[in-house]
Amino acid sequence: MRRRSFLLGAGGCLVALIGAGAVGYSQVPVIPKRPNPDPASALGWIRFEEGRYTFTLPRAEMGQNIATALKQVACSELEVSWDAVDLSLHDTSLPGVKPTVGSESVQLFAEPLAQACAALRDAVAAGQTTGTIDVNPRPLTDLRVFQAEAFQGPSPTIEQGQEIVTGASLYAADVSRPGMLYGRVLRAPAPTEVASSPTRWDVAAARAISGFVAVAEECGAPIGQAHGLGIVADRPGALDQIADALSVDWAIDGVHPRADVIAAVDVDTTLSDGPLPHSVIDGTPAEGSWDVDLRIDIPLAAHAPIEPRAALAEWDNDRLTVWVGSQDVFYIRDVLTDAYGANASHVHVQSCRVGGGFGGKTICTVEAEAAALARAVGKPVHVQWTRAQEFALAFHRPPSSHRIRARLSGGRITDWDHAQVSSHIMFTSAVLPEWMQAGTDRFAGDGGVARGMDAPYALGNARAAYAPLRLPVHTGPWRGLGAGPNALATESAIDELALAAGADPLAFRLDHVTDARLAACLTRVRDMSKWGAAPAAGGPGVRVGRGVACGIYKGVSYAAAVADVAVNEAGRARVTQIWCVHECGLVINPDQVRAQCEGNLVWSIGMILSDNLPLETGRVTAETFGDAPIPTLTETPPMTIDLLTSDLPPAGAGETGIVVGPGAISNAIRMATGQRLTRFPLDPGQLAT
Amino acid sequence: MEFILNGTPQSIPEGWRDEPLLYLLRAHLGMVGAKFGCGVGLCGACTVIVNGVATRSCITPSESLDGAEVRTIEGLAEDNTLHPVQQAWLDLSVPQCGYCQSGQIMTAVALLEEIPNPTDEEIDAAMDGNLCRCGTYNRIRAAIHRAAEVV
Repeated sequence: MRRRSFLLGAGGCLVALIGAGAVGYSQVPVIPKRPNPDPASALGWIRFEEGRYTFTLPRAEMGQNIATALKQVACSELEVSWDAVDLSLHDTSLPGVKPTVGSESVQLFAEPLAQACAALRDAVAAGQTTGTIDVNPRPLTDLRVFQAEAFQGPSPTIEQGQEIVTGASLYAADVSRPGMLYGRVLRAPAPTEVASSPTRWDVAAARAISGFVAVAEECGAPIGQAHGLGIVADRPGALDQIADALSVDWAIDGVHPRADVIAAVDVDTTLSDGPLPHSVIDGTPAEGSWDVDLRIDIPLAAHAPIEPRAALAEWDNDRLTVWVGSQDVFYIRDVLTDAYGANASHVHVQSCRVGGGFGGKTICTVEAEAAALARAVGKPVHVQWTRAQEFALAFHRPPSSHRIRARLSGGRITDWDHAQVSSHIMFTSAVLPEWMQAGTDRFAGDGGVARGMDAPYALGNARAAYAPLRLPVHTGPWRGLGAGPNALATESAIDELALAAGADPLAFRLDHVTDARLAACLTRVRDMSKWGAAPAAGGPGVRVGRGVACGIYKGVSYAAAVADVAVNEAGRARVTQIWCVHECGLVINPDQVRAQCEGNLVWSIGMILSDNLPLETGRVTAETFGDAPIPTLTETPPMTIDLLTSDLPPAGAGETGIVVGPGAISNAIRMATGQRLTRFPLDPGQLAT
Repeated sequence: MEFILNGTPQSIPEGWRDEPLLYLLRAHLGMVGAKFGCGVGLCGACTVIVNGVATRSCITPSESLDGAEVRTIEGLAEDNTLHPVQQAWLDLSVPQCGYCQSGQIMTAVALLEEIPNPTDEEIDAAMDGNLCRCGTYNRIRAAIHRAAEVV
């Protein structure tokens, strides 16, 4: 099939367009709210005008530095210098692209971009500056980008790096408009899935605050079932004072049936009611006694980006413009268009650099609040959530509860049974209407919860099944979706099996992995870490240990990690060194793939030592980083990261490390203390001597 | 009521004296380098330097600044030449999302002015309150050492 792309002449400029879904390696399903774009919905990503190129980034830039990697692709294929190409972040005038999720940006977008740039390069070389051409996508071997030597040089300075280090305006909260006001939508101190609404408030007291502008009952859709009350001020500091002065009374509709979340998410209770409804591996393990029978519980956790989500909305009659820091501007456009009944062309959403996404900035929340408040007061309104709102109103990593049973014979795994109960990730209550929830729960399950339950080993007669559970708190995609928690559970079980078999845990894994690329990662990390050597001694009373884990993310990215830990007499654990090997096919920007590994390993430390969002009757009670800490510089050990590269098609790097880091750390603690962690985060009291 | 902002006198209007310094900078003066991250001084994204000390601008009342010398990330570079800390941040590609990095850089600048060649322990002590969710900590540490060689 011949695919077309176009060079369009308009006002002396030249634009290359190509269908995003038309080219690419594998189409891994993502959040199903938007299908892959079809070839007809073409994208204009690269443009040539008066001797310069403009690259409109078709992804959200949120720290994966994808602008840098894809600009490398463009410059390489255009055969132009770094300075000849200007970067532009996309808005909703670009034909819709998939949300920036699932570590897909290089995997799915590098080749179409390269094809467009190659066509543009040839057209410009032929002297064409306007007009329309047909593009026949060429074989990968004809694209410079996919030649092994393409990216051998040093990585360029990251795009927008200069702006970051000089404090220039980049993020949604940095945007300013004439006459701009500051807004907030107050909501009840109640779970988001319990109906609540404001009943009474003291406007007179609020009006006495200097800077008060308005109270707005029309303040956008509820978040879950939490209806809000909007406030607007002409200075940001007045919002706290107005909120206090209003002393809003709230009607809260009772207690959620699963208000005790920890008790509700209990795999053994669910199993006692019968088999779990959704299958990932559908073999039949034999009945009988087990060599390993392990229960693992992983709590609710926040994304905790340092940027609380923000938006600025401005109306011009029936036209709405919103500046956002989002992983999906098109979804926001569609939600707001639906909300206001406007023609889609009347809602314009501009993406800004995202101050940390991690899967959490994928739906429409603060953007709808800003749009409603701006409409209410007839002026541009800026809304940035407080840290407490981030914890209370955003969706989070679901709590999950795992039971893994396994049996050995002759040093090999013969039977495996992994059962999991978790709240939702894909079909989250945060976006799915209640009338659809029963249907998806019964028929579709939740692919996000399932992700990574297919442990990459020869498991004998294996079963993996799960049950999704609706909770009073919103849960959803969080870096790696289910893959992080599932791998922590399965890598813990594999380690226990190795111990039961009297085998070295790394050799046991090599004996059972079924994929040569994964085996290569394990072998490399074994050599790099000098596996088998004792970790450095930790001083009097300090127990040290070394652990390993490995895994595959979404079937395309591979990693293995070794961690050393030191546990003191009080039971406090410190990770002292991590080695990590990552393989994701062809690498465009090795430095930034390394950076993603580093970030994932810091997240791995958090998964074991700190991630936990406290709840009370189903409501998140954390308000500050003191209540829900994230890893710090002091907790971050030296890391040695090695990239195995190949000329296989490029895959993702944003979420692989979180499949291996937590298991390696937890297994190291097991080796140091003799105790298997089964409830996270680590409770030091459990390991005190 | 006025203070020195990046070397230039700056008055604090009546209506802004109740506001935290962070909002005075961002909303009144349009200087958006310092970020709102938590509002209670726990994350460090809003860090600026007040009278030589790394300070959380989100919990610093503007009215407390009469006569103070305040430095923000916008004032670090001189004549288009980046401060060595800024340059080290670029050379080592420290930022991922970048949102916390203004606060990280200002804390690092204050550290290096006090201790020109800090040990890892001194870096830990100075930087531990500046959170980074992307996990750029090892590059932050390396960039401080690199800048220390130049400063």
